[in-house]
Amino acid sequence: MEIDTQEIYNVRTGVFEGPLDLLLHLIKKNKMNIMDIKISEITSEYLYYLQDRTRVNPSREGDFLMTASTLIYIKSRSLLPKPEILQEEESPEDRLLHSLIEYDKIQKISQMLKDMEEETLLLWKREEVVEKFDTREYKLEEVSSFQLAEVFLNILKRKEGENFLYIDSKEYSIEKKWNEILALMAADGFLEFFQYVATLKTIEDVLVSFFCILEMIKRNVLIGVQKKLFGPISLWKTDKEKEKNE
Amino acid sequence: MSEEQFLDPKETEFDIRTEGGRKAFIEAALFVSKDPVDPVRIMNYLKIKNVQEFERLIVKIEADYKEKGGGIMLQRTGGGLQLTTKPYMHDYLKDFFTITSTSRLSVASLETLAIIAYRQPVTIAEISDLRGVNSVGPVKNLLQKKLIKISGRKKVPGLPALYSTSKEFMLYFGLNDLSELPSLEELTEMFEEKEQPSLFKSL
Repeated sequence: MEIDTQEIYNVRTGVFEGPLDLLLHLIKKNKMNIMDIKISEITSEYLYYLQDRTRVNPSREGDFLMTASTLIYIKSRSLLPKPEILQEEESPEDRLLHSLIEYDKIQKISQMLKDMEEETLLLWKREEVVEKFDTREYKLEEVSSFQLAEVFLNILKRKEGENFLYIDSKEYSIEKKWNEILALMAADGFLEFFQYVATLKTIEDVLVSFFCILEMIKRNVLIGVQKKLFGPISLWKTDKEKEKNE
Repeated sequence: MSEEQFLDPKETEFDIRTEGGRKAFIEAALFVSKDPVDPVRIMNYLKIKNVQEFERLIVKIEADYKEKGGGIMLQRTGGGLQLTTKPYMHDYLKDFFTITSTSRLSVASLETLAIIAYRQPVTIAEISDLRGVNSVGPVKNLLQKKLIKISGRKKVPGLPALYSTSKEFMLYFGLNDLSELPSLEELTEMFEEKEQPSLFKSL
């Protein structure tokens, strides 16, 4: 089969979201009716697209291949004489057709939502200047060399302190930390992560605390909550943990 | 100097029971609110019992904003009332606040939202099946943006989470009520009109 590559590359520049996206595109490009797909044509074109790795999302390759095998299966079925119908539940053709019809709807609803999004993005609400728009231009404040020196001195001081104070390397243990963190949370029921880390004196302490918090989250003792992206993270006791205490 | 000198001359005449007073109050309440204001709350506060009466008031405020030709208008969204800027202010505001790019939802997110909006409550497996691709990523992304929420668990093995659209979803898309979305039947009709069956038949 001949494929006009020039045309294909002009149709669309984006990457296909998934196999249904690509299939629908091919059906529309060839002006076929969904209800009457010329399966052999579509299969060849589909496989042709699949060869070009830049056109399909590589992390979805498995999904694309899966549909490719379905297409080939349908194609081969159409070539073989059909056995007397054994009241099949649902033929692969029907299943694919159903998926395509549904996906077609989804794409149209998506387009409708996109239009609505564009419309509402034109209306600004209170305090949305920061939230709604990503300026991608963060203003960085200039730091004088004195400030830099000061920070450096602080680090040196801290390191110095470490050298003297830090004798026993087993001073920190997850178990100790565990109880320490729970004790700190006893009053308010939560802990501001950054504030807490700031109170820690040595790097080992920070590391052990961090591992301990991860472990606590993993065991469903704590949950980490963040109000917005890059915002402060606070740690809360889970309901399970609260019940245990009561 | 007596304090009276600082008073707005209108203040002494102000009466919240009059139509003008009610309109002024609604405007002030909407102005300071970050989120849309529940109309029932305003009705209760102003002791308006009749919905039609309230509606008339709102229509008048809307008309005022149109006639005044200002940069602000009243929007009904997420079941509430809100003041927003007029659409044609967008470009100037963007320029004024030196905003270079506007973040929009990705195709994957839009598709996922489309499914959730029309099939809710729905599981990730069902979404992935309809889209033909694994949809854990976009669901997580939408959860983070608070456009969807977990509304329950499906009573099948594994008890997968069921997802539904949130109030933020309505606000984001300027919907007053979920029923404002066209029904699936209406959508199919809309699509059928757009398509050209004659073209297919000839092939």
